[in-house]
Amino acid sequence: MNNPVIHREFVGILRNRKAIAMLIVMSIAFSLIVLLRWPTDGQVDLSGMRSQQVFRVFAYTLLAGVLFVIPAFPAVSFIQEKNKGTLALLLNSPLSSSTIFAGKLTGGLLFAVLLLLTSLPAAAACYAMGGIDLYSQFGLLYLVLLTCTMQYSTLALLISTYVQSTDAAVRMTYAAVFAFGILGTGPYYLLQGQAGTLPLIAWWLQAASPLTVVMDLVGHGDVGSLALMSEHSTLAEYFLLSAVSSLAFVMLTVSRLNHRLFDRARSKGTITDDRQVLARGFRRLFFLVDPQRRKSGIPFYANPVMVKEFRTRKFGRIHWLLRLVAGCAVLSLLLTFAATTGVVDWGVKTIGGFMVLLQIVLVVLITPSLASGLISAERESGGWELLRMTPMSPLKIVRGKLLSVIWTVGLILLATVPGYVVMIYIQPAMWLQVYLVMICLVLATVYTVCIAAAVGSLFQRTATATTSCYIVLILLFLSPLLIWMGRDAPFSHKAVEAALSINPTGAALSIIEAPGFEIYELVPGAWWVSGIISFAALLAFGGQVWRISRPA
Amino acid sequence: MANSPVVETKALTKRYGEFTALDSLSISVDAGHILGFIGPNGAGKTTTIRILVGLLRPTEGSATIAGADCVTQARKIKRLVGYMPDMFGSYDNMRVTEYLDFFGAAYGIGRRDRVKRVAEVLETTGAGYMKDLYVESLSHGMKQRIGIARTLLHDPQVLILDEPANGLDPQARIDMRELLLHLAEIGKTLIVTSHILPELSRICDTVAIITHGKLRAFGTQAEIMRQITQRRTFEVQLVERAQLEAANAIVMTSLGAGAEANVSTSETEGLVRFDSNLSDRELAGILASLLDKGVSVAQFREIPTDLEDAFLSVTSRDNETSTTERPAPAASSPEPV
Repeated sequence: MNNPVIHREFVGILRNRKAIAMLIVMSIAFSLIVLLRWPTDGQVDLSGMRSQQVFRVFAYTLLAGVLFVIPAFPAVSFIQEKNKGTLALLLNSPLSSSTIFAGKLTGGLLFAVLLLLTSLPAAAACYAMGGIDLYSQFGLLYLVLLTCTMQYSTLALLISTYVQSTDAAVRMTYAAVFAFGILGTGPYYLLQGQAGTLPLIAWWLQAASPLTVVMDLVGHGDVGSLALMSEHSTLAEYFLLSAVSSLAFVMLTVSRLNHRLFDRARSKGTITDDRQVLARGFRRLFFLVDPQRRKSGIPFYANPVMVKEFRTRKFGRIHWLLRLVAGCAVLSLLLTFAATTGVVDWGVKTIGGFMVLLQIVLVVLITPSLASGLISAERESGGWELLRMTPMSPLKIVRGKLLSVIWTVGLILLATVPGYVVMIYIQPAMWLQVYLVMICLVLATVYTVCIAAAVGSLFQRTATATTSCYIVLILLFLSPLLIWMGRDAPFSHKAVEAALSINPTGAALSIIEAPGFEIYELVPGAWWVSGIISFAALLAFGGQVWRISRPA
Repeated sequence: MANSPVVETKALTKRYGEFTALDSLSISVDAGHILGFIGPNGAGKTTTIRILVGLLRPTEGSATIAGADCVTQARKIKRLVGYMPDMFGSYDNMRVTEYLDFFGAAYGIGRRDRVKRVAEVLETTGAGYMKDLYVESLSHGMKQRIGIARTLLHDPQVLILDEPANGLDPQARIDMRELLLHLAEIGKTLIVTSHILPELSRICDTVAIITHGKLRAFGTQAEIMRQITQRRTFEVQLVERAQLEAANAIVMTSLGAGAEANVSTSETEGLVRFDSNLSDRELAGILASLLDKGVSVAQFREIPTDLEDAFLSVTSRDNETSTTERPAPAASSPEPV
């Protein structure tokens, strides 16, 4: 390794105990998946159906790992170095920007390869079951995953040069990965079968997603198309788009690796109140609630920690909240509008299912970014010591912090209510279902907030806390859906029902009778399970705060 | 001003397993005084401070602030003490007034009083012009000022400042010194840790030197100097460099030429330098001998010792002790220097 950055980066990752733990957990998870479906009876499965079933779950798990574990490392790569001051040293050394970038990328990719290698024993066992082609299925799957690793690593590195903090890097990367990898497939499913520019763009968007390719590889190509097999595989287009986008990300990142990264003027702290009348009026119109106006003091009835949390978060400032809420309201109304005007022939229940999923996605994406750093950000910045020095009790601090998240997520959820109102207007008989779905959504919010807060409080670094929260929540919300995708084969009805009960999403989808979920009886079982898990997480969070608040 | 101790520690000890971070520390600080808390990195300064503000529990001993026990009356201590850790604790996207307003609210100061109080502390610390700036955009020196403003919000009796002058430029250091003196003038009791000893020597009434968790010297600066200057350093500046050897021989003879005399000469400067614990009268005898023997003396002077010398003297002695034998624990008072 002539490039010293590769060595430093790779060894740095390997010295991280969490990375080692991740490797062990991944290899155990892959082995378990195969073990679960390993034939124990004397029958021979000549059709290879059983191995295909295992291959599906294996492929999706591997894809989830690549999408949500690997980008976390390159995401913090540059910003961590920048904040520690070592990036300035690197840029000041004779190493060129491209060498530094190549070192960082290669170091991350080597770890990614190591992670993929942990799945090889399980893949071999899966292959030994027969019925799976080594080249057209296994080979292609690993090729797709490697391409995906390259694409998202370069994307994460690019994001790392734009953000100002490590946790923002993690948040932005997960949002981008989710948008490109999963949400990108949405427009095509809505517009498929139509002619014109928009459907064409939607087709290319879904072709850029590794999810579509993996679905094709495992024989799930018809799932999104609602029983219509895809016209043709998007594999070639995927490789092309990945290569082009990776190249673009690399070039952009390398072009940004120079002194301009540090060339940032200090904010002048301009206050709207001191500006001219015209500027004040314009800002009032544009922002509604102007973030640059002088704030009045915290009122006596408000929890100071809650107000502080709102003020210190970019998305916590009211003008941002208003934008987010408005965006959610428009999106939910658009979905309902699509159903009523017959743009798609899916019916109210399918659209209802989509809305539920959209809301859960919003909650799962937004909550960790708000709740994971509640304690770790304070500990990292030194604010926790100052808070401990105030006469506020740990209970008051916890209350303020949790309220700040619940209010934000609650407001975003409320914004999607108009969509449901329209739904009830179309089918008045659905009011009870909508009512029960709302309970599920509230429960999902509480569940997510409690788990994110509890997991985040265990770490001292915000970036680690945010990454861990995302991984835990994605595991909790995605694995039941993965198991549901393998319903009846390989997973039994009972197994799927049990898996769907670990969070309120399945319950909401079964209540709204979304296709494929209507056969499961998840209420009130899922409510109880979610309630108990939320309560346990809340206790763990409280316990951790109490522990770190006490004199050592 | 009444000279009653406001801060008092008795045999304060903190152990982490086998490691003793703080060993039987006993100090006291009078009201309105400034205590300079000196020690090398890892000496136990921050441990002491964290015990005083209630963030750590001592393994043994006690600490009180204005009569309130730092362990059992932690809530009272929070009202009595304003603590500025070495880490600023900034929050993003917050302006200075919002930042101070939050801490004011956290201390339970009413909204109207808070507005007044924030303006007051900004004026006291000379930070009024920063009120609309974002906290994260402040320079280090500005942050230190805001940190002190934050500690003053609830009008505490005692201010404990961990390395307030660390990383400041010369002008900011002068400003900080004036600010601390001003705070002492308005009746605050201050405990200040610092590595910048000349800064401390200009503001502190009392000094505590701590190494390896043990108190090595404690008292007013004059007392510490007296302890340190049991052996003082003198220089004899000659008119003619040719007389250097003769002068050296006379000084050696007068001092008894023992191993402890530590006599040296500097040919380029034309002077003889020596350490001695002789009285002024005996030193006058050495000067007389030099003159009697025809040595032309331009100056016979004592090299003044400062806090830095005292610190170095104590720490070097401690290092010598620690390389041969670890100092025995459970000393309730400072060891003679």
